[in-house]
Parts: sequence; C-alpha cells; structure tokens
Amino acid sequence: MDTTSILAIITENIRAVVPDLSETSITASDTMSQLGLDSVERQEVVMLTLEAIGLEIPLVQLRGPRTIGDLAELLHAKREG
Amino acid sequence: MPSAKAESAPVISGIGVATAFGYGVSTFRQALRQPGNRFGVMQRPGRHASDATFPGAELPDPPAGILSARIARTTGLTGHVAVAVLQEAWRDANLDRVAPEKIGLVIGGSNTQAREHLLIQQSYAAKLHFLSPQYGHRFFDSDLCGLCTSVFPIRGFAYTLGGASASGLLAVQHAADAVRSGRVEACIALGALQDLSYFECQALRSLGAMGSVCRPFDQGRDGFVFGECSSALVLSRSGPGYGRVLGAAHIADGNRGPEPSLQGEVRAIRMALADAGIAAEEIDYVNPHGTGSPLGDDTEVAALREAGLTHARINATKSIIGHGLSAAGAVELVAVLLQMTGGFLHPTRNLENPIAPDLHWANGESFQARTALKLSFGFGGINTALVAGALEA
Repeated sequence: MDTTSILAIITENIRAVVPDLSETSITASDTMSQLGLDSVERQEVVMLTLEAIGLEIPLVQLRGPRTIGDLAELLHAKREG
Repeated sequence: MPSAKAESAPVISGIGVATAFGYGVSTFRQALRQPGNRFGVMQRPGRHASDATFPGAELPDPPAGILSARIARTTGLTGHVAVAVLQEAWRDANLDRVAPEKIGLVIGGSNTQAREHLLIQQSYAAKLHFLSPQYGHRFFDSDLCGLCTSVFPIRGFAYTLGGASASGLLAVQHAADAVRSGRVEACIALGALQDLSYFECQALRSLGAMGSVCRPFDQGRDGFVFGECSSALVLSRSGPGYGRVLGAAHIADGNRGPEPSLQGEVRAIRMALADAGIAAEEIDYVNPHGTGSPLGDDTEVAALREAGLTHARINATKSIIGHGLSAAGAVELVAVLLQMTGGFLHPTRNLENPIAPDLHWANGESFQARTALKLSFGFGGINTALVAGALEA
C-alpha cells in the first residue's frame, strides 16, 4: 500500500467523520484543523485509518505531522517499518 | 381562592414527549384518550439475544434534521430522543426569549445508554486497540448534558441525577427548586430514555421485576413491561403553561434492592402534601407509580389508604406506555398535565380484576382535576411524590 492509497483512506475517513466535507476538495497540504475537525474528530480519523490499514501502534508515535500528506507518509513508513 | 404560596409555585410552561405511540404532545394526548396496544417483542439490536427475547414497547425513529449529520453519527438513541423532546418543549415555552445564562437543565437517569455501550463493546471486542476515541466522552451519562447544551443555548447549568425509576420525577423536583430559588429563570427537566440492553432486561427478569403483560393493579399482574419513552418539561417562574408544581418530596427508606416500603411511600406522600400546603382530601387525582409488580402495587394501594387518598380518581399510565424506568416519572407527569388541561382521565389498560375494586379507577371519562398527586419510586429505597395544581382560571 503506497502513500497515495493511505492518503485516500485518510480523506475518506475525514469525510465519514465530518459529512459536511463530502463536497469539499481535500488535498495533501491540508491540515485536519484547517478543515474544521476538532481534537476528538482528528483522533478518530487517525484511529479509523490505523484500523483500515491494519497498523497497531501507540498513538504517541503519530504525534508531529501537520498536514494529512505528512500523516500519510508517516503511516506508510510505520507500516513498512 | 389560591394561596399566595400557590401563586409563586413554578409553572410548567413547555412540554415535549416521546412514547411508543410517537413524538409530540398531540400524539401522546391522543394515545391517552384512546389507548391502543404498542407492546410486542422488542426488536432493537442489543435488546435480544439468541436465547432470550423480551416484551416491551419501542419508539419509532426520532425525527430527522434536528442534529447535523456530523453530530448525529456520534449520538445514540437516548441522545436523539432527548434533543427531540427538548426541541418541542423549548419551542412550546418560547425559551428563545430567556437569557442562556438563566436557563438550567437537569437530566433524570443514570446508566441510560447501556445498549449503545453493549453494541460498542461487541464491535470492538476483537480489536480493542482501534476503539473509537468518541467513546471516551460518550460513556458518561453527562454526555447527554454536553449534547443538549451544544445544540440549545443553555448556559446556566446542566447535570444528570440518578434515582432509578424515580429519576424523571426527581429531575422535575430539582428543576422546580432551581426556579423557586431564583438560581435560573427557567429550568428544563428531562427524563432520559433508558436504553436497556438484553443484559439489563435479563437481570430484571431474574430479579422477578420484569413481567410478560403490562397490567398494573390487576390480580393477574406479573411484573412491569418496559416501554421506551422520554419527556422534557420546562419549569418557569410564571405562566402561561400546563399547571404548577405545588409541592414535592424525596426520601430514602433504607432498602437497597427492589423492595417497596409502605412507611417510605406514606412519608413521601405526606411530606409532598405538607410542602404543597394542601390536605389529602383536596387531591382530585392520583397518578401512581403502578408498575404491575405484585408486591409493589399492593404496597402502593396500602400507602394510598393510609395517606387518606382512596377518594381520588386513579389510573396507571404505565398500562399504556410501559415502564420507562429513568424517564417514567417525567413522562407520567406529562400525562397528568395533559389530562388536567384536557379535562379527561385515561383508562388503565388490561385492568379487568382490580386488586382494589373500591378505588375510583378512571375509565376515559371527562374529569376536571384541579390537584393531582404523582408518585415515583426507585430501587434502592427512593421514594418521590409531587403535587401538581391546575393554573388559576
């Protein structure tokens, strides 16, 4: 699974958690905060994505990335790791 | 001539209600006037198991469009129904005219979302690591306070309180106190829908509390039958409205389990009457706890005799809507008010051979009650009573 596929999963989960964004264009340079997700919703997107890609790691290892593109790259690296 | 005390008693200025008959005051009023049968085998996911089903009455789907899709997806049945009844009561009482800081919310009920929790536990049993972070705040009963105050401009205070099956009536008492004390101008009492899972149903059956057919005060009764319901009542300093809370009482009788206490019930009744400043013989109508429990109904009849209330008309609302547990007292108080303002008394369904044939069982007749006594009792020795009075003509 490449970074682009993971990014697509993240985008899909953002739209599942915030249905208002179903028509909004979401790109790798967006942050979830900018898209209006609150802290619990951001955490839920991360959790749904971990489940979808079958990655079981402590959430503390996912602190840092600002954009969803960065997050996709980090998840890809952890998964390959 | 109403006393000065009665004139300062809090007014119930708005109502919202949901029962198995549907949503809204007019639907409930019609159900009380001409009660049909809404009981059947309960179908909700998590409320039956492969080897156990339970009788009861379940609500139709909540009205759509009150919550955004974003909030709706993280809201369970209890929350969806709470905002539906709250919206109706809010509009009825025109609460938009009250400053948000002067509006309070008391939600009666504890462990109200057990079925939602069971479903979440089942979903994540094999993948605990991926448990939704939403559950971290949703498992609290007070998440209902967060939901309601995020959707409606309530900024005075909000809390839940537990009194088992007396929770709803207890919430009304607290809301009335908050208005009477001047803490807020208006306070909403909400009887939360008790969303039982099959675990609670099975345990209540094992306890001997849950029966097969809902027939309060009939010789053939064999326990209560569950009925989903919820209501919101707005307590205000002045009218217009449906009636007044003239007085109330809440006492502990020292039982831990389900046993009723004759002394506890009589004491609560007498204290509520004293708080209202009226005599037992002035009560026109009694809406009892009346669950259909063999011992509970016998004890309650004995309490009514001892308190000098056998002259009053009586009916049992649970015979129509079932036992709403946490919500019961709040929904049944709505039934009291709709009957007082509508000038009628509903029949008691399935009452064929009353255990106390000398009591004045209502049977759908026209009747103008000016004063009513509402009783609610909860496991754990909780006894509550409330005196409602009609608004002055």
